[in-house]
Amino acid sequence: MRELLQSQAPPVADGPVARARTGLISRMLFKHEYLRGYGLLAPALIVTGLTVLVPCALLVTLSFWTQVGYDYDTTLTLQNYRTAYEKPIYGALLERSLWISGIATIVTVLLCYPMAYYVAFHVHRHKMIWIILITLPFWTSYLLRVFAWKVILGYEGVINSGLMHLGLITEPLRFLLYSNTAVSITLAHSWAAFALLPIYVSLEKIDKSYLEAAADLGDGPVLRFLRITLPLSLPGVIASVFLMFIPTLGDYVTPAMVGGPDSTMIGTLIQLQFGSINNWPMGAALSVVLVIVICVLGLCSYGLTKAFRRWAV
Amino acid sequence: MDVLDQLGAVRDGKLSRRAFNRTLFAAGVTMAAMPLIPRRAVASPEDQATYFTWGGFDVPEMFVPYVEKHGELPNFSIYGSTEDALTKLRSGFVADVAHPCSSDIPNWVSTGLFQPIDTSRLSNWPDVFPELYDMPYNQANGQPDGKIWMVPFEWGQSSIIYRTDLFELEGEESWDMMWDARYAGRLGSLATASDAWWVGAIKAGVPFEEIGTDASFDKIAAVLREQRPLIRVYTDDTTSTDNAMASGELVAVLGWNSSALSLQTQGVPVKFAQPKEGALTWVCGPMLHAQAPNLDRAYDIIDSLISAPSGEFILADYGYGAVNRKSFEPFDDAMLASMGLSRDPNTILQAGHFGLPQSLEWNAKIVSEFEAIKSGF
Repeated sequence: MRELLQSQAPPVADGPVARARTGLISRMLFKHEYLRGYGLLAPALIVTGLTVLVPCALLVTLSFWTQVGYDYDTTLTLQNYRTAYEKPIYGALLERSLWISGIATIVTVLLCYPMAYYVAFHVHRHKMIWIILITLPFWTSYLLRVFAWKVILGYEGVINSGLMHLGLITEPLRFLLYSNTAVSITLAHSWAAFALLPIYVSLEKIDKSYLEAAADLGDGPVLRFLRITLPLSLPGVIASVFLMFIPTLGDYVTPAMVGGPDSTMIGTLIQLQFGSINNWPMGAALSVVLVIVICVLGLCSYGLTKAFRRWAV
Repeated sequence: MDVLDQLGAVRDGKLSRRAFNRTLFAAGVTMAAMPLIPRRAVASPEDQATYFTWGGFDVPEMFVPYVEKHGELPNFSIYGSTEDALTKLRSGFVADVAHPCSSDIPNWVSTGLFQPIDTSRLSNWPDVFPELYDMPYNQANGQPDGKIWMVPFEWGQSSIIYRTDLFELEGEESWDMMWDARYAGRLGSLATASDAWWVGAIKAGVPFEEIGTDASFDKIAAVLREQRPLIRVYTDDTTSTDNAMASGELVAVLGWNSSALSLQTQGVPVKFAQPKEGALTWVCGPMLHAQAPNLDRAYDIIDSLISAPSGEFILADYGYGAVNRKSFEPFDDAMLASMGLSRDPNTILQAGHFGLPQSLEWNAKIVSEFEAIKSGF
């Protein structure tokens, strides 16, 4: 009897189960919004996985290997990280990179905030043209912008010849080019649009009635800015700090072109490990260290913002 | 409606939407059809061999015989230093012909990416000075095996280029000039160890045969560390150092014949020093890729480079030594001497210090030490 039931069971179950299964998928999709979202995201997720996550995993693996001639010794070891920790050059260059790109980031955000503020609150017609004009430097190649700064800051450059012409100096200023100043200035200008747009968006979103309410309740312009505008635009400011700080921290083109012997950054060293020094595992280890440093800084500032929010509210 | 009518209509503000769209459509069709317009009936660039070389070596004057034969220049790919070039080749870039220098050859050969060159396929080979290829660099295993891995193309010196009006010479020209504290912050050096490290060895009095020992390593590193605070910029971008020399920002730089010649041609009072300790000398030239996709044309590139007209061009315009005997015919001895060259390559190469190949590990050690020195460690 049991055997009979078993042998009979499949043909009976086949049709309705299959129908139920397709029904199940569409029902699931219908019921759970996140599944629909992932379904739509799938192509992008696969591409990202293949082109970002896999290389990252390779990089991390590589950092535990050692270079032997043109080959790798695939025994896992922490030697590269130990070298990075023990040799003073790596730590010092990392610290210098943090300084240079930190200064560039702060300067850029401070300069961009008023610009974004002006466009968000005081420009009423042709806003798009203003935005386009502000991002105009971005329409030229990054290298060209760096070269432009070389021309401006150079020994016979615009600034030096201008000052000489005015009789303010008798000999060209040497600290302008091939120095940390030059690297910070160039980075600040080159990445300005990245800092400006998030700030602009967050300022633009602010509901103007809050400002009116604050004014009605007796706040002057300064207090109103500190209590309404600044806290509400803070997400944009933080976003621009990150958008600016992360890429500039690992930059190597700018120091190579406008920096002097004292402006070598950690990115330069990483590039050299993959290039002329020919020690890819060491380069991978340094890259991983850089990523970790950025993550730690990111978490710190996330925590600080949260604390600030709690305090402000 | 022709173009002028259209433009007139635009100016008068009378251009209708339909007419405007028609114009756009015509422009679009023209753009799309552009590649179909017959071009000169020659091979497309994909068919030309690729020459992977230093910037400045991608000029038509060096490929006159090649262009005569194939109607077009070879394809070029440019690098800034031979170390970068090798990295790119090792990660899979295939160029038919690459252009390293003598001290790179054993390491390049050991990658297995290159094949020996069959000199019987080069029509200009009999005119090439044998002393430029019968050299240790062509002996992959330290033994002469008759294989030619690199065909010489240009030779010269790495020496000091200095402003005769701004640099006050004390006694003879010497490598001490690059260590002269009076000119701190007005000296420039090359960024790759392949030149600077060897110059350090000459300055430290280390014979090149002993460069691979730990004692010499420390001596050379100490000398370069001592120089570092005096250097304004380490760069391989000779265009920017040439400009800095012309403006007086720098008064002396480590450089090659070509920079000295180009500055002199511009009327800048510079001299290519002949230091009493001897300059650093080298030979560079093409190597053939093991998987060269256009082997026949690759040989044509090499043959073109060592032809008499190419040699004349690099002598006259770049100030480098040529490898073809015939190239020297239009020049007189005095002129050659003023450029730091000679009709007999040996007199220059042997008078200076000729760079010797180092093992891969030692090279890596040198490069990382030099990078640390440059960064101030």
